[in-house]
Amino acid sequence: MERTTDADRINEIQHSAQPCFQCGICAASCPIFRVAPDFNPRMAVDEVLRTGTVAMTGREWFCAYCLMCEERCPMEVALSEILIDIKNLSANDGKVPPSIIEMMDVIRFTGKVSHASKRTEKKRRELGLPELPKPDVDEVQTIFEMTGALDRLMRFREAEVEPE
Amino acid sequence: MRFALFPGCTISDRLPFIEKSIRMIAPHFNIELIDLPFTCCPEPNSVRSFSDKTWLTMGARNLALAEEAGVNIMTACAGCFESLSMSKHVLDSKPSEKEEVNKVLKKIGKEYKGQVEVRHIQQVLYEDIGIEEIQRNVQYPINYRAVIHPGCHTLRPQKILNLDDAEAPMKLDELVRAIGMESLDYMDKVMCCGAGVRGINREIAFGVLREKMDSMMMVDPEVAVVFCPTCFISFEAGQKVVNRMFDKKYNLPVYYYTEILAAAMGLEGVESILSEHRVKFSALGMLVAKNEPEIENATPH
Repeated sequence: MERTTDADRINEIQHSAQPCFQCGICAASCPIFRVAPDFNPRMAVDEVLRTGTVAMTGREWFCAYCLMCEERCPMEVALSEILIDIKNLSANDGKVPPSIIEMMDVIRFTGKVSHASKRTEKKRRELGLPELPKPDVDEVQTIFEMTGALDRLMRFREAEVEPE
Repeated sequence: MRFALFPGCTISDRLPFIEKSIRMIAPHFNIELIDLPFTCCPEPNSVRSFSDKTWLTMGARNLALAEEAGVNIMTACAGCFESLSMSKHVLDSKPSEKEEVNKVLKKIGKEYKGQVEVRHIQQVLYEDIGIEEIQRNVQYPINYRAVIHPGCHTLRPQKILNLDDAEAPMKLDELVRAIGMESLDYMDKVMCCGAGVRGINREIAFGVLREKMDSMMMVDPEVAVVFCPTCFISFEAGQKVVNRMFDKKYNLPVYYYTEILAAAMGLEGVESILSEHRVKFSALGMLVAKNEPEIENATPH
């Protein structure tokens, strides 16, 4: 699959952030900002508009993707989508929180985010629940290979070995 | 009504008793469920943030499986509902993305056409079955004071998900009223439970949960009712973490809607579901065991 270049992606982010007039309802509605004022969704947009660059501070990963900011934005700026885009740029640079790498690895090898533990399997039998059909993991591998997830996982591991 | 049940990883692998409650009530409302080899939806925040192309293609594969089987999808998890609905929205509104995705799906012998609908079980109960039919099935009304938490990913973005009003949701309130409960309004009803950042930063995640539960506790509820397994874990197991972290004393029993629906319907086997809960509500247990229509002075334990 063709990969969008970073420059294209930053242009797209700038374009979608353009209507923002910095009213701050996004920050006022953000549950993360409420307990951790270091993370301010308004500033993420402000940065893009002012500097034309995307600051990947690591704080972009604090977004809980609750979509409150986006729902309330009077200019319909899709802030959650912008943050997803910023995180994709970070991930492409190999900057990803380890918990997400773990999750991606589990999906890659099982198709699911959580293994059914022996206890859960026993519980399912006790409750009389059916055995669910398992996804073909080769199909997941193919998707990972062709959509760039495998590349990003590799890049994370390289970044881990050789820190800047 | 026939659906492919999309229980989601959290329900099928961690909270199977919730899946049981769904399968228990389904036949009473003429809902037929089939199981398909779905993968993770995938999880709407982390996976999409890591690689949006991978997210979209895995979502399309799941949608294609249901299309192939000729059924719509019924999700039980708000996250799966949002993720699959958003995938469908992107694929249906951006032909170039759909084309790219189908090139990958072709390699695994699949194709996304755009014929499948994604529904959350709340929509099926509220819109297809209706409050009156639910009331008609209630044998033992449960008359407790409840706070409901609709969950971010059933509500937003409203213009795409279209499940309820994102600022003032009332449908889950109506559903809990249908089984005899009082639904209490509270300040931060549409606020997040904090689950989205639990793997990234625990202090922030449980700080958000503390804010949310403080708001809930202001109206003195006896139980909380949710329609998402991730929110269920946040409130049920998470309140104990919040208690330790912030010196709180929360002790609020939490139910996924179909669990208390099954209890109110007096269905056999409800005890086996409720015994899996970490915060027990002894009054509800007694209600179920004795099949008594009402319990006076019920208090959570």
